[in-house]
Amino acid sequence: MVQLRQSFEVGLLLCRTCGQAISRTSPSADPRCPRCESRIEHRTPFSTEMTLAWLVAGIILYVPANVLPVMHTSGLLGEADSTILGGIIEFWRAGDWDIAVLIFIASVAVPFTKFIAIGLLLITVRKNSRWERHQRTTLYRIVEFIGCWSMLDVIVVALTSALLQFQMLGTAEPRAGIAFFCAVVFATMLSALSFDPRLIWDRRT
Amino acid sequence: MRRQRRFADCNARICSNEQTTLTMELPDARQSTLVNTVLICRDCDTVYRALTLRRGDVALCRRCESVLSRYVGTDAESGLALVIAAAIFFAIANLTPILSIEVGGVETKANIWFAVLSLQQGWISVAAFGLAFTTFLIPAAQILLLLWVLLFARAKRRPPGFGPVMKLLHRIRPWSMTEVFLLGALVAIVKLANWVHITAGAGIWAMAGLTVVLAILGRCDPAAWWSIGARRRPWSS
Repeated sequence: MVQLRQSFEVGLLLCRTCGQAISRTSPSADPRCPRCESRIEHRTPFSTEMTLAWLVAGIILYVPANVLPVMHTSGLLGEADSTILGGIIEFWRAGDWDIAVLIFIASVAVPFTKFIAIGLLLITVRKNSRWERHQRTTLYRIVEFIGCWSMLDVIVVALTSALLQFQMLGTAEPRAGIAFFCAVVFATMLSALSFDPRLIWDRRT
Repeated sequence: MRRQRRFADCNARICSNEQTTLTMELPDARQSTLVNTVLICRDCDTVYRALTLRRGDVALCRRCESVLSRYVGTDAESGLALVIAAAIFFAIANLTPILSIEVGGVETKANIWFAVLSLQQGWISVAAFGLAFTTFLIPAAQILLLLWVLLFARAKRRPPGFGPVMKLLHRIRPWSMTEVFLLGALVAIVKLANWVHITAGAGIWAMAGLTVVLAILGRCDPAAWWSIGARRRPWSS
């Protein structure tokens, strides 16, 4: 069988921006891709630090995003503030279990999956673990893929408050929680994008 | 060994599509800086020899199964057709209502911009910016940049600023959330349908079309457009 080798073992570099393989002829201080002119790094610099920083930011922001109300509705039935979890429970009670499950996945399950998965990747990379490297790479790709779907609640709140604008009958307005939630989505996406999956495969001694 | 078994697994899973097997090669480090005969996995840094792919082929990494390269069926001509379709869908989605509700003869409509404006309240505008960025600015930028690249490619010329444009296209791709907006609109329909009469406008269909077209264009990225640029470069050596 053939042996699989990493790029640096055979004197090559990868430009992660355009996917071009480059042979490392002269080691210069500031190597650039001859095709797209982006900087070429052996591994993304400060990858784990940036990932951890954005992850912590995401987790901190997730608290006010859930505690503070995301929407304020007023109308003939009175006034009410609703949080993300409150909204999910309301849908569930009203019999719209499908919407409840969908919002639960987008607003609770996806962020938690990201927190746990990125945390797991960071810990195992830090410990130089060789455990299930293939599965961990898949995990990373899943985190990358689900990144944007938490934005769902922000969009639903925005559309609802854009539509419900009847002074007497009912209005809906966004509340602070939604801004925090939007920030959580951005922070977790930046966290996932900062992570360099090649670190999973590196054998550092 | 473990690797061998993985490769067998991976082979079996893709055989319906004529899996291209990749073998390892030790390239001699000569003077050339661009190495086009080699593919390097983005996710685990393994080196493979590049092979010509046939229609439907996907080259996967043996080790981590990430996609190394795909067969590219879209040339500049069909790429341009897709981008123009995307531009038309985008215009319709922004000019017509995506949703509208009616209560007692009064009607309100909403599309991306109404949604963004409704979030503009004091510092909650952060969310308005986030929404405008991901559902309007980024898709618009994607369409304009691809249009720029492909119009020149069709005229068999390398577009000015090709490198930075391609780099930008690569960077902004994860932030395009057209498909999430579409799902959000569908959730809003079901959510409000209990209380009011809600109808979907032409915009929602345009949004669906835009999602599909951007997904097709996204699959071609990045190797496909790079090769277009490389092929249409008469003056450079």
